[in-house]
Amino acid sequence: MPEIKASSMEPGKKAKISNTGILFIVLVVLFALFSYVGRPFFFSVLNLIPMLNNLSFIGIIAAVLTMVMVTGEIDFSIGGNIGLTACLAAFLLSKGLPGWLVVVIALFGGAVMGAFNGFLATVVGVNSMIATIGTMFIWRGIGYTLSNGESMLAINPVIDFIGRGFIFKVIPFPIVIFIIIFALTYVVMNLSKWGRSIYAIGTNPMASYLSGINVKKVKFINFLLCGITASLGGLILTSLSAVGMPQHGQGLELVIISGIVLGGTALGGGKGQILGTLAGTLILSLLYNFLTIMNVYYYYIQIVQGAVLVLVVATYEIRQSRALKRV
Amino acid sequence: MANNNGIVLKMDNITKTFPGVIALDDVSIELYKGEVLGILGENGAGKSTLIKILAGNYIKDSGSIFVDGQKFEIKNPSEAMASGIRVIYQELNSLNNLTVAENIFVGEQLVKSPFKIVDWKAMNKRAAEILNELNVDLDPNAIIGDLSISEKQVVEIAKAISKEAKILVMDEPTAALSEEETQSLFKIINTLKTKGVSIIYISHRLKEIFEITDRVVILRDGKKVGLRKTVETDANELVTLMVGRDIKEMYPKREVLIGETVLEVKNLNAEGFNDISFNLRKGEILGIFGLLGSGRTALVKALFGANKIHSGEIIINGKKANIKSPKIARDEKIGLVPLDRKVEGLALHLGVKENVTLANIEDLGKGFLINKKLEKIKAGKWVKEMGIKTPTLEQEVNSLSGGNQQKVVLAKWLESGSKIIILNEPTRGIDVGAKIEIYKLMQNLCEEGSAVIMISSELPEILSIADRILVMSKGRITAQYSRTEATEEKLLQSACI
Repeated sequence: MPEIKASSMEPGKKAKISNTGILFIVLVVLFALFSYVGRPFFFSVLNLIPMLNNLSFIGIIAAVLTMVMVTGEIDFSIGGNIGLTACLAAFLLSKGLPGWLVVVIALFGGAVMGAFNGFLATVVGVNSMIATIGTMFIWRGIGYTLSNGESMLAINPVIDFIGRGFIFKVIPFPIVIFIIIFALTYVVMNLSKWGRSIYAIGTNPMASYLSGINVKKVKFINFLLCGITASLGGLILTSLSAVGMPQHGQGLELVIISGIVLGGTALGGGKGQILGTLAGTLILSLLYNFLTIMNVYYYYIQIVQGAVLVLVVATYEIRQSRALKRV
Repeated sequence: MANNNGIVLKMDNITKTFPGVIALDDVSIELYKGEVLGILGENGAGKSTLIKILAGNYIKDSGSIFVDGQKFEIKNPSEAMASGIRVIYQELNSLNNLTVAENIFVGEQLVKSPFKIVDWKAMNKRAAEILNELNVDLDPNAIIGDLSISEKQVVEIAKAISKEAKILVMDEPTAALSEEETQSLFKIINTLKTKGVSIIYISHRLKEIFEITDRVVILRDGKKVGLRKTVETDANELVTLMVGRDIKEMYPKREVLIGETVLEVKNLNAEGFNDISFNLRKGEILGIFGLLGSGRTALVKALFGANKIHSGEIIINGKKANIKSPKIARDEKIGLVPLDRKVEGLALHLGVKENVTLANIEDLGKGFLINKKLEKIKAGKWVKEMGIKTPTLEQEVNSLSGGNQQKVVLAKWLESGSKIIILNEPTRGIDVGAKIEIYKLMQNLCEEGSAVIMISSELPEILSIADRILVMSKGRITAQYSRTEATEEKLLQSACI
């Protein structure tokens, strides 16, 4: 029997190619096209490694945020979290704390931020979109306060390694983190009891609650994990740039959420695949990178990125309403 | 009037299918001017579907509709309204924060020039006139939220006739009304009849059908099975047509040895009900009867931990239980088959196996991961045992028929080992065959040592299946009958106290 896909089952019909499948085809085609058009620079270590490094911290946050979004919640505060984490890490380094301790404190800070979002969304019951837009400003504001609005140097062997280190001398460390987090979230979402609860809640929170699932707990822990991951992303960005500044991660929440939505996750919850997020994030990064190295004016790049997002999501809607009509 | 006694509405060979069910199969009705046409049928017979097609909420698959002899494709509710069709649904769509007059004229407020500002004076005056025509005493300035359900219904009727209704459809209008209120509704209906309005009256209460209708159409499992002049038929004939088989076959009842008390509720108070005490014994089916708003649903939700309990005790197997959440209820081996399975019971876009195991994800394997093999074995067992008709275990439950969906919800609780099963209107919206299967399953559970609480507003069902019946009214238990004592009249009477 074929494995069930929580998102794209269409009853009574032959299995069609899933949205995620299409995305991967698009991805491969784009990659081939860009490699050809952008030769020789696009398909070179000099281009791909920095691109993957940038992708890594966006990707890990996107993976965990997908879990949050499948339950029907959202976290806009991730960009603010990155900014605050960067400033906190640089600040603590400037006070002479050892690198490993800075990392621990920064991740703990992320957990606190995530827990606070989770508290607002589940215990207090504030709409998470509003709550996390609020906390986005709070985190960034604290970052500005901590850094006095200035960039602070963040150089330390441990911190350096997070963004610029290599495993086996060839594999960039952020890529390793990226692969590990994607593998973990994939297992959680597709194979674990936790993931099953997440999909059940996203599909029908009321029925899940009335089936004895602790809906608030699941959502809370997802927010917590998202906070920790965002601060891990913040550490990678700090390391890559060697400075901590409050502007780090500004606007990144929209880029990340765009990638997730592009990957097929529905804002209302219930639908979304980790592999879809992977593909969506990769496509956006490729596109951005390609247009940049082709010297396309930055303003135009934004237009293209936005248009791609709108186009793809519109395609999903059309496919879905057609599928419904056929029933 | 030119076409007095003429046909106002003709629905010809209407068919409508939903995934997994034929909701309406080649149904035709005719409606004459100034008559009350009853549509009778059990839950799930297709009454609501027929009305929703007429109201433009559903698009028919095939068939044709004629209004005043003109062929008419109803594509949306506003087109239906434009041709004089008005529907008053069971769940009233009143705007609770507005006044009576505002509700009557919603969307079409009377305005005065030059700036088209709302003409309150004219609106209140016209509203008073309409209410007067209906012989009801209601203040046009009253806020809807402060009115009783029957008064709200009157406002809905006023709203309908304010816009020249030719055809008025009432879907189970008395579901929440007392006997007295029902009588005043009938007065209004008779007034409307004399004004030449044609009325489609939907109900599954025989008494009302005889009291108010001129003719009656009987639907069963989406098919029209009969059309009778009300004066020429009797209750026996209608019931036989409605259920399509002998009563004994329809409601199979086995005597089960009733054992010790498994659930004791003492002086329970919460939002929606007061001072409820009763007990439930092993092997027993306890029926709870009551009108809409009597507190039945609030009671079972509180028992299941979904509503907060203010005071009182719940004792399970002799031990006091503190049921603060559905999770605790589940751990106490209580299961709830809720009123609206699509909203409260199922994750519609997940598969059969995901839904069957929904209340018991923890047991899907050791540790963190789901053992997919074990999951299939567990789900497959229930699909087989309960006769759930599904092509695969992966099939989205959304595409199953109502009866099979209900079985999935029940299977979910059996999989989690529930011993006290609460079913809220378990046969709502499912076909006759599936109903019988559900009754049999309930009795199998009793034979296996579980206890069942069944809330039902279907009188024949509760009278035949329950061993004991509690009647609720206004949040209190007003009577208790054994199966041998209970009659339709007694239950209705106690429900209106």
